Amino acid sequence: MNTNPMLPYPGKLVEVRDLADEIKLLRVELVEQGAEAFKSWQPGQFAFVSAYGLGEAPFGIANMPQDGPLLDFAVARLGSVTTGLHELGEGDTVGVRGPLGNCFPLEKFKGKNLVVLGGGIGGAPLRPVIQAVLSQRDEYDSLTILWAARKQSLLVFTDEYDAWRAAPDTRLHLTIDQADPKWDHNVGLITDLLKKVNPSPNNAISVTCGPPIMIYYVTRMLAEMGFRPEDNYVTLEARMHCGLGKCGRCNLGDKFVCVDGPVFNMLEVGNMMETYL
Amino acid sequence: MSQPDLNAKSRLISQAELDKWLDGLARTQTLIAPRNVSGVVLYRPVAGSDEIVKGVNRPAMSVKEVFFPPTERLLTIRKTGTEIHINETLPEGQAVVFGVLPCDARGVRLLDALFLDTTPADPYYARRRANTTLIGLACKEMGPTCFCTSVGGAPDDPTGMDMMLYPAEYGYMAEAISDKGHSLLAEAGWPETVLGGTAPDSTGRFPTLEKSQWPGHFNDDYWMKISERCLSCRACAYVCPTCRCFAVRDEMLGPGEFERIRCWDSCAGENYRRVAGGHRPRAEKGERLRNRFYCKFFYFPGQIGLSDTSACTGCGRCIEVCPAGVDITEVLQDLERLA
Repeated sequence: MNTNPMLPYPGKLVEVRDLADEIKLLRVELVEQGAEAFKSWQPGQFAFVSAYGLGEAPFGIANMPQDGPLLDFAVARLGSVTTGLHELGEGDTVGVRGPLGNCFPLEKFKGKNLVVLGGGIGGAPLRPVIQAVLSQRDEYDSLTILWAARKQSLLVFTDEYDAWRAAPDTRLHLTIDQADPKWDHNVGLITDLLKKVNPSPNNAISVTCGPPIMIYYVTRMLAEMGFRPEDNYVTLEARMHCGLGKCGRCNLGDKFVCVDGPVFNMLEVGNMMETYL
Repeated sequence: MSQPDLNAKSRLISQAELDKWLDGLARTQTLIAPRNVSGVVLYRPVAGSDEIVKGVNRPAMSVKEVFFPPTERLLTIRKTGTEIHINETLPEGQAVVFGVLPCDARGVRLLDALFLDTTPADPYYARRRANTTLIGLACKEMGPTCFCTSVGGAPDDPTGMDMMLYPAEYGYMAEAISDKGHSLLAEAGWPETVLGGTAPDSTGRFPTLEKSQWPGHFNDDYWMKISERCLSCRACAYVCPTCRCFAVRDEMLGPGEFERIRCWDSCAGENYRRVAGGHRPRAEKGERLRNRFYCKFFYFPGQIGLSDTSACTGCGRCIEVCPAGVDITEVLQDLERLA
């Protein structure tokens, strides 16, 4: 394996598909040393993906380790690196650096009622949690998914909703900020949906990811609903340039999102969430 | 802070002997020392002892740039058709740095804790550090903006050095600090003596906030007030011996040829935290200035396992370069008074 943690492994794009408006799902296959480096990654970890010549950016890994040397990344076309990644096609090479960061404490989640709250592309790093629960459905109690986007065309993993709904003791609640004539689910912010769904905090764990403002208000609302700080989980995103706790960019107080996170509970970062906004 | 042992076996050398020795070093390897570069004194390679600026208070930039250059190539990238070739570009070459200030060597010690001791080690920094020897020169006195004694240092503190020179009445006392320093001193073959001499005056100091009191000041209005004059110019971070934030990006060298570089950056910058999509945490100047102070005195030491120390070495450079008069000693004293 690479002794230089800044050196990416080559990865081949084996599948590129539209996930939502301006959001693509890139499936990357690692070989040799890269496959070896990612042999035992855990759900919740992230990696840097290089569009060579344009730069690299961090992405949560959006699938399960069971997929072997295949890694899924949801990429929204926003800046120069992500635009470069959008221009690549199947067979093209990207660089992958990782696996980085901590992971979801899935063992602690077992036997609990799980509430998963995803906003926009923030749903991508939560997909491994949903997949983990569905693949060992008996190990967990109820699963409640609150899935939101600004508009219908920005909802991610729509082709998987039927499978989620079909799983035992699993409910999916959808909301979009702006009404759409063909939409027969909730209209409003995810906080509005959360109020309506009103999940019980009893024996429950919540996991939230989305835009900072959403994470901030959702975790506060969950706290008001009785979710204890240690049961109120988030996976955070921040600008980072190394992922190794060196470049200094992603601090949240004395913690780095890259090495102390990206998965935190409110006991760890609750008092610093205002600086995340 | 470790004080020199005045009874330790040491070597007494004259200025002429020292110069001759430095000339010898410069012939066999890269010798870096305070040099006058168009009117600015900087740690730069010198051809011999005559190029070394003597009696200077402090080079304008810290010795940090020897190990962690302002811009550094990490990789080269070559694209031919669909093939991509990556070449790791680790730095080569040995160097001796002469005339390192005690405050700057303490800065290196802190950078070591981050780049070497906190896993994973940074291979670029590690290579430069392993191939470099630090020869310190104790300050005869503290300069007008110096305050090392208030943040745990001293003008004759040998922490982080390989070899230390103390100015004496006629020449210098030389003392080996590390294994590297011991072999260097043995090779030099200077006569052995007892250190003796007087330590520089290091009594001037002001009280600073206790570690435990920092969290309590996070929401003080003070940060917004003091930052009104901050220009977010980032000069303080660039001259700081321990500010080490960096950005990584790819640059085009020619058709199909690219390099991945890292360059210094600072949390004072307006777009430092901006993410694609436009969201910008720490949008207020006060939030950014506060972060710099918390990082320096509270966050960074803890992150590198040195929580009982401060990441400020008291060199005073930020006071001199700030165009808006933000004075770190004033902030520290204000906080202490607010406590």
